[in-house]
Amino acid sequence: MISELQRQHSRGEYNYVAGDGYPGDHHSLRLRRLSSQMSIHDFPHYNPSLSDAGDSEAGDHGQPRDLRSLPLPMAIKKAKLKSRGIQVPVLSKVELWKQEKLKKLRKFQTKAREFLYFLVLWGKTIQKIGGNFGGGVKSYFLFLRFLVVLNFVSFLLIAGFVIIPSLVFRQVGTSFMNSTGNERCTIYEPNPPGLVVFYNFFLDLLSGTGFMEYSFMFYGYYKNTMVENNSFSYKIPLAYLFTAVFYFAFCLICIIARMGTAARVAVATGGSTVVNYSMTVFNGWNFGCLGETATKLKQKNLLYRLQVDLEEESLKKRAASLTLLKKFGLHSLRLLMALLVLGLNIAAFYGISYATTYSQEQQNKRVNKESDRIQDLFFEYLPSIVISVANFLVPLLCDQIAKVEHYSPSITVIVALLRAVVLRFVGLGVLLFTLWDQITCTGNMDDAKCKECSYNYASYACWETRVGQEMYKLTLFDLLINIAVLVLVEFPRRMVVDNWSSKVSQLVGRQEFVVSSNVLGLVYSQTVVWTGALFCPLLPLINTVKFVILFYCKKITLFSNCRPPQKTFRSTTSAFFFLVVLLLGWMLASVVMIYSIAVIHPSRGCGPFRFSDNMWLIIPTSFYNLSAATQEFLFFIGSQAFTIPLFSLSGLVMCYVIALFSIYGKSVGLLRLQLKRESRDKQFLVKQIEELSR
Amino acid sequence: MGATASQLDTGKLSEYEELTFLTKQEILLAYKRFDKLVPKEEKNRIDYRVRMEDILELPELKFNPFKERICKVFSTSDKKDGSLDFDDFLDFLSAFSESATLEIKSHYAFHIFDFEDDGTLGRQDLKQLVNCLTGKADKTSLTADEMKQLINNILAESDIDKDGTVNLSEFQHVISRSPDFVSSFKIVL
Repeated sequence: MISELQRQHSRGEYNYVAGDGYPGDHHSLRLRRLSSQMSIHDFPHYNPSLSDAGDSEAGDHGQPRDLRSLPLPMAIKKAKLKSRGIQVPVLSKVELWKQEKLKKLRKFQTKAREFLYFLVLWGKTIQKIGGNFGGGVKSYFLFLRFLVVLNFVSFLLIAGFVIIPSLVFRQVGTSFMNSTGNERCTIYEPNPPGLVVFYNFFLDLLSGTGFMEYSFMFYGYYKNTMVENNSFSYKIPLAYLFTAVFYFAFCLICIIARMGTAARVAVATGGSTVVNYSMTVFNGWNFGCLGETATKLKQKNLLYRLQVDLEEESLKKRAASLTLLKKFGLHSLRLLMALLVLGLNIAAFYGISYATTYSQEQQNKRVNKESDRIQDLFFEYLPSIVISVANFLVPLLCDQIAKVEHYSPSITVIVALLRAVVLRFVGLGVLLFTLWDQITCTGNMDDAKCKECSYNYASYACWETRVGQEMYKLTLFDLLINIAVLVLVEFPRRMVVDNWSSKVSQLVGRQEFVVSSNVLGLVYSQTVVWTGALFCPLLPLINTVKFVILFYCKKITLFSNCRPPQKTFRSTTSAFFFLVVLLLGWMLASVVMIYSIAVIHPSRGCGPFRFSDNMWLIIPTSFYNLSAATQEFLFFIGSQAFTIPLFSLSGLVMCYVIALFSIYGKSVGLLRLQLKRESRDKQFLVKQIEELSR
Repeated sequence: MGATASQLDTGKLSEYEELTFLTKQEILLAYKRFDKLVPKEEKNRIDYRVRMEDILELPELKFNPFKERICKVFSTSDKKDGSLDFDDFLDFLSAFSESATLEIKSHYAFHIFDFEDDGTLGRQDLKQLVNCLTGKADKTSLTADEMKQLINNILAESDIDKDGTVNLSEFQHVISRSPDFVSSFKIVL
């Protein structure tokens, strides 16, 4: 067997091949190619310099190269193994022992990895989704899983530091009273819990009032209990504030850590917005694709992708050749359309603001419990309804407008996405702003309603609970809408398309799983949760359950109703993009949190902060209760003597990392150039040989 | 040299584990699947080669557009008919396994895409590659102009030494910039 292979060894032939003369080839048309006619079965075609840098030097003396990473047939590998066994090992005892330990460690690592694979949440499902529907849809489900874990861990945090101590210390602790004279402001009477009719119970569940209002769900239930034993003291208000701040910081760290890994991938691929045909073609096929339908779908997917890229290229060429007049016309048309989109957005925002104001007025008017509960429910959910309708209609209209604008396909997608993001976040911001306006009487402290208690007591006896209720309603409504769309739109659509073959149904086709709008929905829900977590501590838990339900719903609709997205644009399905949008949501929520903590007066009748002018003020007051040494230490950390060296040190580290980054980029460029030059040298030498041999 | 008997002994098992990226369970599973393809009367032969037509019936390969190329690349048969014995089968699974290195995968991917078996990817190789990716191997789904433009673009991007073909190092250069090549070049039994 081995002799046969040795016969096949280095069957080098010199081949005259005419160059193709495609654009860019400035050398002579007749190129001689040193193609050594080596097929896979010949002896080492493997380039050892491509393996790890250290190994090629080690060779036979030193650490033995991993045989399995040689691309040779099994027979040759077995022969090498035998020859290596015969060889006298030139290794010392220490080296041998080290190798043994390394082998054992590697075995343990593979075993641990196999074990962990089973523990990973939904691992197999996500892999199946990736195999059938591609990387874009898979990235959506990976993002969803990340959010589920984030919410669950943050709920554990909140439970451990706020909810459970509140439960435990409720009866034990002392809550100090601090009468400031405004007796009227401290009256807070939520609907007392008692026997409730089931009908009312259900409605209360949906709107967060009734039995739910004065419960662990909302801010109003927590007292400012403080427990002080000999060695152990626990202040609920302090814990509440610190937990909220730490929750935000923890989420930020998680997002940034995940962005780091995603950014590394994005940088390594050299920018995903650049169309790369060779990447599509060489890397396009997923060998894990099983089954005939999956294969055909994947092929269609690749075909569309290539066709779209080629079409875009020809569009660009055409656009570059437009006359000046036409260019002017096109740009003024685009400006007009942008203004139209802006007008649509402003109309949506105004609608949201009006709906919120109207809804709040209706809720405040509701004194009579006998009034029509269904109508009340409608008014309570009015802001959520308006937001959902706006989020549905406006992108639809923008899509129609985009058809007039004649951007290239990839830019169209990015512009549509940006518009949707702006719409969702500003819509949420408008809702919150309107709410806050109502609570603080538009900042006018001398207004009749706000004068007495520094906030609108008449309408909001406990405004934090009310805000928490609004966020709770938004979350719930989002889940209900998703399930309703699933049941009422997607399943019927699939049944119609499958069973009734007419031109219309063929045109409409099966539902396509659009990744970007689904991801925006997730980011929107998470932002709502972040905004509401300060006022409704159980909201992360509710959100975890909601996302779990959403995962299974989306999975069901994906496998039953959807076809894979045919046009995928990498930039919009990358994990990095999702995390950037999530970060924007986090910033919006943190602005809200900072405003609530630092500016607005907490309710006097409920909650752990009822006796301070600000939520923030609890920190200075407890600060001065600390021991003198701790106070000194904390002052020192905040002083200039500490922070300036810290900043300069981190600036230094950042400069170092940036320098490293630029150097690596330059060395990649240099290596590419070297590769080019080497082959040119080869051609030059061959030409010389040919001339000399004449 | 295939299995010595109808059972795979531990000595051979650890040798295979040393020489491939597969774990013991994967090798045993591969042995079971390979054994099913061997007809009854040949079960005791040491180095029986399963014909290409039988290998192509495996569900993991049945609808893969590159199935014939895979068999031809991994086959060490003298007749060049794409038949695989157990060693070749393990080589194939090792290259497509989860833990194989990027170098191994890109090396074999290059040779799978090299339809003309000439050591480089020329225009005809690329054309056949695109046809496999987008539909039938013999029928092209793009128009002639689109195909020409596409191949020109590919060569402009990846042919660094401008010789009209893509050789192994140029191919590996393109592949190394893609993060999900390793996960898409994967077949698990």
